Amino acid sequence: MSSPKIAKYSLSELKNTTDDVLPTYLNSLKFTQSHLLTDVRLALGYTAVTIAGILFYADWKLGWDATKAATFWAVIAYFTINSVLTVWIWLVEKGKVYTGELNGTLLSIASSVTKHTPIYNITVKTNKDGAETETLKLSAPFTRWFDQDGCFVAKPFQQWLASEVSLIGQADPKNKVSGIENGHGGVSVAEAVVIQQTDKPVRAGEREASTPGARSRKGKK
Amino acid sequence: MLSSLSALSPRQLLAQALNFALVLSTAFMLWKGLSVATNSPSPIVVVLSGSMEPAFQRGDLLFLWNRGMDTQIGEIVVYNVKGKDIPIVHRVLRRYGGGDKPLQLLTKGDNNMADDTELYARGQDYLNRAEDIIGSVVGYVPFVGYVTILLSEHPWLKTVLLGMMGVMVVLQRE
Repeated sequence: MSSPKIAKYSLSELKNTTDDVLPTYLNSLKFTQSHLLTDVRLALGYTAVTIAGILFYADWKLGWDATKAATFWAVIAYFTINSVLTVWIWLVEKGKVYTGELNGTLLSIASSVTKHTPIYNITVKTNKDGAETETLKLSAPFTRWFDQDGCFVAKPFQQWLASEVSLIGQADPKNKVSGIENGHGGVSVAEAVVIQQTDKPVRAGEREASTPGARSRKGKK
Repeated sequence: MLSSLSALSPRQLLAQALNFALVLSTAFMLWKGLSVATNSPSPIVVVLSGSMEPAFQRGDLLFLWNRGMDTQIGEIVVYNVKGKDIPIVHRVLRRYGGGDKPLQLLTKGDNNMADDTELYARGQDYLNRAEDIIGSVVGYVPFVGYVTILLSEHPWLKTVLLGMMGVMVVLQRE
């Protein structure tokens, strides 16, 4: 799974890329993704934007005097919907980047980063048939699944999730690695890539051929 | 940049477009909210001429309030003459009527020699408070409106500004 290069010092790019990869991975494991949160957000947002659009058109066509009363209600409606949208994003979505279901077990993953700290934090919630929700808080450095060039490497990321979250581990036993927090698995893979690039010029040459980004950077020097 | 957009799912694209649309619509609705609160179609205006010097200079930003319908002599009002699109900021000189009868006003710029009869529509000798006035001045910020004057009086500045934005977008790619 090759992926385009990102600016590896940009925390938001690291997070966004990782957030985007999560659904791809989980859906490939036969999780059924639920888009309810996003759909409600889109519906609220576009309703508000439509109100503003209609008011803009009416104001342009009919003028202030004819639309005065309607403007009052449109402003009230717009800011009410906007407040609901804000509440929805802050209190309901709460940074959730994935909600889905596998064999009757609900899974939701919310991600966050702290400013200037290149660590990916996720809160994983699983709930089976209305039983008590299990909450799991995990953190891992982005260096675990981004290589030196800023390319996403799927394997260590998948290993991390499959080993830490039992539900994902059940769905993807191949990526389940024991003792992943002790430096095995993901981190060592990422480090191995780094060593290859810096210590062995011959191997580095092979890498350049496979990633055009690395070659163009060399050329500028 | 375009390739990264095409990599997004339809929902992500819609969400991205929504963020942009919300910024624009919120700005518009805040303006409309201010209009509703002040009861004025244009609650903030920029002074375009020196006819009210020394009270207001060109480029001053004025805040209007249009809920006090019983406008008094000495108040500074902004009015729109029918058929002319530019709002004018001048001081009330005389008032007729009021109470049961519709209030009528005569205005004059502090810096002008004569009153505004010349500026009104053909055959109009006074302003109708309810119809022509879009608000009384309740506050002002000096000079900050000058940017809009520059942009409207020197259209090539808009071109330069747009060009600069375009260059920035190109330079900031990747």
